[in-house]
Amino acid sequence: MATHQSNGHIATADKGHSAAAQNGHSNGKSNGHAVAPEVEWNFARAKDGVLATTGANMSIRAIRYKISASVQDDGPRPVLPLAHGDPSMFPAFRTAVEAEDAVAATLRTGEFNCYPAGVGLPAARSAVAEHLSKDLPYQLSADDIFLTAGGTQAIEVVIPVLAQPGANILLPRPGYPNYEARAGFNRLEIRHFDLLPDKGWEIDINSLESIADKNTTAMVIINPNNPCGSVYSYEHLAKVAEVARKLGILVIADEVYGKLVFGGAPFIPMGVFGHIAPVLSIGSLSKSWIVPGWRLGWVAVYDPKKILQETKIATSITNYLNVSTDPATFIQGALPKILENTKEDFFKRIIALLKESSEICYKDIKENRYISCPHKPEGSMFVMVKLNLHLLEGIQDDIDFCCKLAKEESVILCPGSVLGMENWVRITFAIVPSSIQDGVERIKSFCQRHKKK
Amino acid sequence: MENGNGSRGDDDVGVTRPRWRFSRPSRGTQLTAAGTRSIRAVLGRLNSSVDPSETRPVVRLANGDPTATACFQTAPEAEDAVVDALRSREHNGYSNSTGEPHARSAIAEYLSRDLPYELSPDDIYLTSGCVQAVEIMISALAQPGANILLPKPGFPLYEARTMFSHLEDRHFDLIPERGWEVDLESVKALADDNTVAIVIINPGNPCGSVYSQDHLAQIAETARELGIMIIADEVYAHLAFGDRPFIPMGVFAKIAPVVTLGSISKRWLVPGWRLGWIAMCDPDGVLKEAKVDQSIQNYTNISTDPATFVQGAVPQIIDNTKQEYFNKILGLLKNSADLLFSKIKDIKGITCPHKPEGSMFVMVKLDFAALDGFSDDVDFCCRLAKEESVLVMPGTALGMKNWGRITFAIDLPSLEDGLERMKSFCARHAKVEA
Repeated sequence: MATHQSNGHIATADKGHSAAAQNGHSNGKSNGHAVAPEVEWNFARAKDGVLATTGANMSIRAIRYKISASVQDDGPRPVLPLAHGDPSMFPAFRTAVEAEDAVAATLRTGEFNCYPAGVGLPAARSAVAEHLSKDLPYQLSADDIFLTAGGTQAIEVVIPVLAQPGANILLPRPGYPNYEARAGFNRLEIRHFDLLPDKGWEIDINSLESIADKNTTAMVIINPNNPCGSVYSYEHLAKVAEVARKLGILVIADEVYGKLVFGGAPFIPMGVFGHIAPVLSIGSLSKSWIVPGWRLGWVAVYDPKKILQETKIATSITNYLNVSTDPATFIQGALPKILENTKEDFFKRIIALLKESSEICYKDIKENRYISCPHKPEGSMFVMVKLNLHLLEGIQDDIDFCCKLAKEESVILCPGSVLGMENWVRITFAIVPSSIQDGVERIKSFCQRHKKK
Repeated sequence: MENGNGSRGDDDVGVTRPRWRFSRPSRGTQLTAAGTRSIRAVLGRLNSSVDPSETRPVVRLANGDPTATACFQTAPEAEDAVVDALRSREHNGYSNSTGEPHARSAIAEYLSRDLPYELSPDDIYLTSGCVQAVEIMISALAQPGANILLPKPGFPLYEARTMFSHLEDRHFDLIPERGWEVDLESVKALADDNTVAIVIINPGNPCGSVYSQDHLAQIAETARELGIMIIADEVYAHLAFGDRPFIPMGVFAKIAPVVTLGSISKRWLVPGWRLGWIAMCDPDGVLKEAKVDQSIQNYTNISTDPATFVQGAVPQIIDNTKQEYFNKILGLLKNSADLLFSKIKDIKGITCPHKPEGSMFVMVKLDFAALDGFSDDVDFCCRLAKEESVLVMPGTALGMKNWGRITFAIDLPSLEDGLERMKSFCARHAKVEA
C-alpha cells in the first residue's frame, strides 16, 4: 500500500500514481489545478461494479426509457404509453377531490412540516389499520402498520429485513422486477416459481414446492396480479397459505392493486389467511387513488398468531425505517381524512373505466391472430399477451417487437423479458377507452405489416 | 417438501406447528446495529427517560427540527407553491427517477449562483430528502473492499448506511481547538488505495462550524492527492450567521470532484416535505468517466422518489421566497446561538470550545472532573432528561464520547429555560471540592 505522506506539494503528479494515463484521461492539460491526467481516481474502479453495469437490466423504468427512445420525435400521432401503470394524466382518471382537499388542508395547518417518526405518524398508522381491518376477521393495531414512501419503499424495506447470508426468496414469473432488483442488491438469492397461463395465472404450487429448501425465508404473491391481470380465488389463496406454512416461510403479499377489481372474482386480502402463515402485505394509495406521485404506501403485518414476534421482524422494519426516508409528513397527516372521506363513487368511476378499457383491449387482442391472451384480465392495470412470432417476420423477440412498435406506431409496451417471460408483452389498459382502442388498432396494423409472407 | 415436522396434529388448522425459516436473526444484527445507532433511536431513549410526572414543558435541544417552534416556520410562498402544484393535478403521476425536469433545472440554476461554472440539469438528481441522497451515494459507492472517510464527530446516518451497504468506514478527526477543522494528517493516515470518498459536512453538524475558503481548498487538495471524491453534505447551506460566509465545496471541484448533497429541509424549515438532491459538481467529467453518474441513475431506477407535486413546486419555491425570509431565519439562529454560547460559559462542568457560526448545532464538552457521579455522556443526558426534562444529544451517538450536541434552532425563551435547567442540574451534580 503506498503511503500517502504528504511532502507539502500537491500541484505536481501525485506520489505513487504514475503520469501514465492509466485511467483513460487523455488530454495533456497540466496548468496546475485544471484537468489532471496524472490523478488516478480510486472510485473509478467502481465502473465495473454491480450498479454501473447491471442497472440497465434491473428495472422497468430503465427498459421503458430505452424503448421510448425508439419513438420517432417527428411522429404525427400522440404516443400511447401502454407500458406502465399510471393513468394520472387523464382527466377521466383524476383522483378523488376529497383526497386532494385533505392534503391541501393538512399542509395549510403548518403543523406537518416536521420530520415524521420513521414508522409513520401515529394517526396515519391507526387510520390504515382500521381501513384494512374492515376486510379481515380480526383487528389490526397501529403497531402493525409501517408507512413507506410508496409501494416501492415498502419493497425496499421488506427485502433487507429478510436478507440473511445463504437465504433465498421465491418470486413469481412473470413478476415485477423491482423484487429481483432489490433482492439482488441485498444479496438475497432469487428462485422463481411459475404462474400458469392456462390456469388463470395461478401459482404453480408444484414448482413452488420444488424450488424451496431450508434456506427459503419467504415467497411473494402479487394479487390482484401485475403483470397478468388475474385476481386469485379464495381457494387458491388458502392453498398458497397452506404451502407457505408447510414450507415454514412467510408470505409477502403485494396488494397495491387491492381495490382495482372489475371481473367476477372479488379481492380477498391475504391477511384473511394470516393465522395459517404470517403475511407482510404491501399497499399504497398510488393505484387505488391514482396518485403514484404522492408516494404514500405501507407494510401491514398480518400475524394474528404472533409468529413473527420472536423473529423481531417489526423491530427490523423499524430499524430500517429509522435510517431511511419517509413519505412527506403532511401527506401522512392527511391520510386519515383521505381514507375516511373518499366516497365509493370515486372507486366506481375508476373501476368502470378500467373495466371498459380492459374489455376493449381483450376483445381486440382476440381478433388479432398475431398475439394471444390466455386469460381475460379481471383486475390491476395490466394484461400479459403472447407474441405469435412464428407468424411474424423480421422480429427477433419481444424487445425487438416493442422497439419496432415504438418506432413505427408510437406505442410503448413493456417487453415480457424484463418480467421473466420472453416473447410475451405486458399491456396496460389503465388509459381512457379511446386511447386503448387506438393502441390496439395500431398494434394490429403493425402486426399485419410484419406478417410472414 | 418436508420441514422436519412430520405428521399433522393439533392446532386449529390441523397442522403441527411448523418450523419457521425466517427465525434466524443474522442480518438482523446489522439492521439492529444500524437502527439503534440512529438519532431517532437515541431520541427515543432520551424521551423515555423523561419523568412522566413532570409538569414543566420538555425542552428539546437534542434534534434538528425547529418546526415545533412558532417562530421557525416556512415561507408562505413555499407553502403556496406546493398547494398550487397539488391543485394543478399535473403532478400526481410518477416522476422520472432522476426527478422532474423543471425542478432539476431550477436547482441547477440555484446552486450555480454560488459556483464559478454552470451546473446542468443533468447534474442534479432529486431525492426524498438529504437522507435519501446519503442512501443513494453510499449505495452507489459500495463495492467489495472499498472504504469511505467519515468525520468524527459526525452524523450517524452515514455510519448506519455504510454498515448496511458493506462499505467500510474510517473516521478522521475534527479538531475542536481549530474551529472543528478537518485533521488532514489523520485523513492522509487513514486513506489507502481502496478509499473512494471523504464526507465533509459544512456548515457543520454537529459542531456549528463554517469552514474558511483556505481550509476547503486544502481539503480539496488532499482529496486530489489521495485520488478520492468529496461528498459535500451541505444540507445547512447558507445557514451561516457568523463572520465566515458559506462557500460551497463545488467551488473547488476542478481540484477534486465533488458530489454535493442538499435539501430544502433546513433553509426552508420543511424537513417533512422530503425534498433533497444530489448535485454532481464535476466540471472535468471525472465522475462521469468513472460512471458514478450511471451508478446513481441505476440506483434511483429501483428506489422511491420525492412526491411529484413537491418536485413540481420547486421552481416556484426558489423563485418566490424572499431574501427577507432567509434573513429573518438567519437572525433568529444567530441570536439563539449567541445566547447559547454566552450562557454555557456560566455552566460549571460544560465548556464550548468554538462559538457556533452556522448550522443548527453546537458541540459542548462535558467536564467529568467538575461533575460527579456520571459514567459517561449517555448517562449524563439520560439523567438530565429525567431530572430536568431537557434533551441534549449525547456525543457518543455522534462518535465523540463525553461531549454533547445542543441545538439552538429553538425560540429564545425555551433555550433560556433549558440552559437555566442545565445550569442548575450541573450545580446540583458538581463535584464537591475536597
